[in-house]
Amino acid sequence: MTPRLPGKLAQNSLPSIWGSRHIIRSQAPIRTFGIRSLNPPVNSRYNVGHGLPVLKSTPTAALERKANTLPLRTGAIATKKGMTAMYDTETGKRIPCTVLQLDRVEVVSHKTVQKHGYYAVQLGAGWRRPANLTKSLLGHFTSSGISPKRHVYEFRVKDESGLLAVGKMVNADWFQEGQYIDARSNSKGKGFAGVMKRHGFGGQDRSHGVSLTHRSLGSAGPSQGGGSRVYPGKKMAGNMGNEQNTVQNLKILKVDPENGIVVVNGSVSGPKGCVVRIQDAIKKPWPEDILSSLPSS
Amino acid sequence: MASPSPILRQLGCFRSLLKPQPQSLLQTGLNRRALSTVYSAKPTPKPIPENLPEQFIRQLPLHLRPKDPKARRPIPPPPPSAFNKCKDPVGAVADAQLAVLDPTGERRALFDYRRSQRSVKPGDIVRVTFKNGDPFNGVCLSIRLRGLDTSFLLRNQLTKVGVEMAVKVYSPNVESVEIVQRAASRKRRARLFYMRNPKHDMGTVENIVTNYIRQKRMLSGKKRAPVKAKK
Amino acid sequence: MIQLKTMLNCIDNSGAAVVECVNVLKKKRPATVGDRIVVVVQKQRSFGPDTTNNVGIANKVRRGDIRHAVVVRVKKEMQRPDGSIVKFDDNACVLVNKSGDPIGTRMNGVVATELRSRQWSKILSLAPMHV
Repeated sequence: MTPRLPGKLAQNSLPSIWGSRHIIRSQAPIRTFGIRSLNPPVNSRYNVGHGLPVLKSTPTAALERKANTLPLRTGAIATKKGMTAMYDTETGKRIPCTVLQLDRVEVVSHKTVQKHGYYAVQLGAGWRRPANLTKSLLGHFTSSGISPKRHVYEFRVKDESGLLAVGKMVNADWFQEGQYIDARSNSKGKGFAGVMKRHGFGGQDRSHGVSLTHRSLGSAGPSQGGGSRVYPGKKMAGNMGNEQNTVQNLKILKVDPENGIVVVNGSVSGPKGCVVRIQDAIKKPWPEDILSSLPSS
Repeated sequence: MASPSPILRQLGCFRSLLKPQPQSLLQTGLNRRALSTVYSAKPTPKPIPENLPEQFIRQLPLHLRPKDPKARRPIPPPPPSAFNKCKDPVGAVADAQLAVLDPTGERRALFDYRRSQRSVKPGDIVRVTFKNGDPFNGVCLSIRLRGLDTSFLLRNQLTKVGVEMAVKVYSPNVESVEIVQRAASRKRRARLFYMRNPKHDMGTVENIVTNYIRQKRMLSGKKRAPVKAKK
Repeated sequence: MIQLKTMLNCIDNSGAAVVECVNVLKKKRPATVGDRIVVVVQKQRSFGPDTTNNVGIANKVRRGDIRHAVVVRVKKEMQRPDGSIVKFDDNACVLVNKSGDPIGTRMNGVVATELRSRQWSKILSLAPMHV
């Protein structure tokens, strides 16, 4: 843009050119709001209608497929604190177990079918200094009336009845001793690992003419017959670990709501202090007393 | 024209004015910009449509937006933390287990060889009886102090074959632990793994244990006798 | 950890003294107590007084015979359900026939109790002692 000067200092300019510009400006449309597509979707004329079945690739069909495997209620965000053992005093069996702790887990917001296309409960855990948060996140927390959270995760639920009210706290007694859960966490990072460590390849010979490639992979694929290319998904060296892993069907051995402790059978991925998301196991029947305690039923 | 007169040469400085203006509008603008500053009117703010839907209000500049009552909500204080309340949950779970498995602290005292005088020490001959009735005797090679997972390693020779068993102290399968014989002198090592070597192997301890059991029976028999006499 | 080429003591009176493992059955990993393996008899037991008493038993197996056997003791430590650990100073086995009955009639040596949970109670009852 041309720099502006006060009127009296301004030079007289060629009226023909500047006149035309003013005309253009006055023709500019009044500002409009919202994002609009340049190519608005056109409804298909085929395969849709009242009598026709729901198409498999639509969100409606996806929700229907998921209905049986989505938990009825939300899970919780826990922290892995370490492992120890518990003895079954009757059989004398020693059961290795992982100790998880829940810290100030509260419902931050909901995701609904109407707005987001699915039902989920957004939970937050821990506490974060408000000064270290962006204004938008701070507003997200304060508008639902809860303190800023360190960790925020979503837990999908089957329907509206699983949406725990915003601001409600999820404590260790949300789970019951003897029920089964799925534990979801990031595994320990191993850094950039070679194929022998990462994928269990055999490596190559120590000798017999092998030079400098004792631990590397052999061929990356066929030559001309196979298209002279490396197929997608070829196992190669790369970053190992630090990826999400779900351990299914862990039995809850002990619950201590006072200290927020949940003790589960066996091991959970990740180092001590990592965030573990636990939710009712999808491959076991839903806990009975939980079914009855759901708000809607 | 052979040569321009001096007057004409002086007039030559106005030649640029006589040149025809370039046709391109853009070029004119560029030239002009370089030469001088042009006045343009201050843009007046565009009118905001009335009854603007709520979701579009965020797109307005801050000073034009209606005041949001939610905007200055106070930040709620954090609720009390479970982490601060229970700093060592693993220890808490283990302690709860110990309270069930060893309520009197007897087993702990029997193997805490660094603190307790009367505890089992490496080199002692120990007899363990399990819940199912099977006993196991052996020389204590080492004691592994690890809280709930505290264990001790016993070695013996049964039918001339060396057998080693590491027993968890707090296992509910352990019925009783007896010290059959103390080590003759204080061992100068905490772990007597050298006793696996044939040179240092103690051989079987069954004889010592059977002697001990016989003596114990005799003693208990003596004890029983006066009780009966009193009755 | 019994695998190909492992030498084991044979602790029954079938006539074999030392056998070599040539195969582990029903398993893709090294054998432990209670596992069935295939062995080659490497050394025969020299029966001094036994041969005079019972000629039949002494001749039951010969050097070079390929037999099935059940592992009864291992050097590798075994963990029990209550967390305790048991290990022996040697690897030992008992020869069995194809139907799983022990070839010998007597055993001399301690065996592991794990045999019971692996359905080898017959061997366990023959043994003079178990741990």
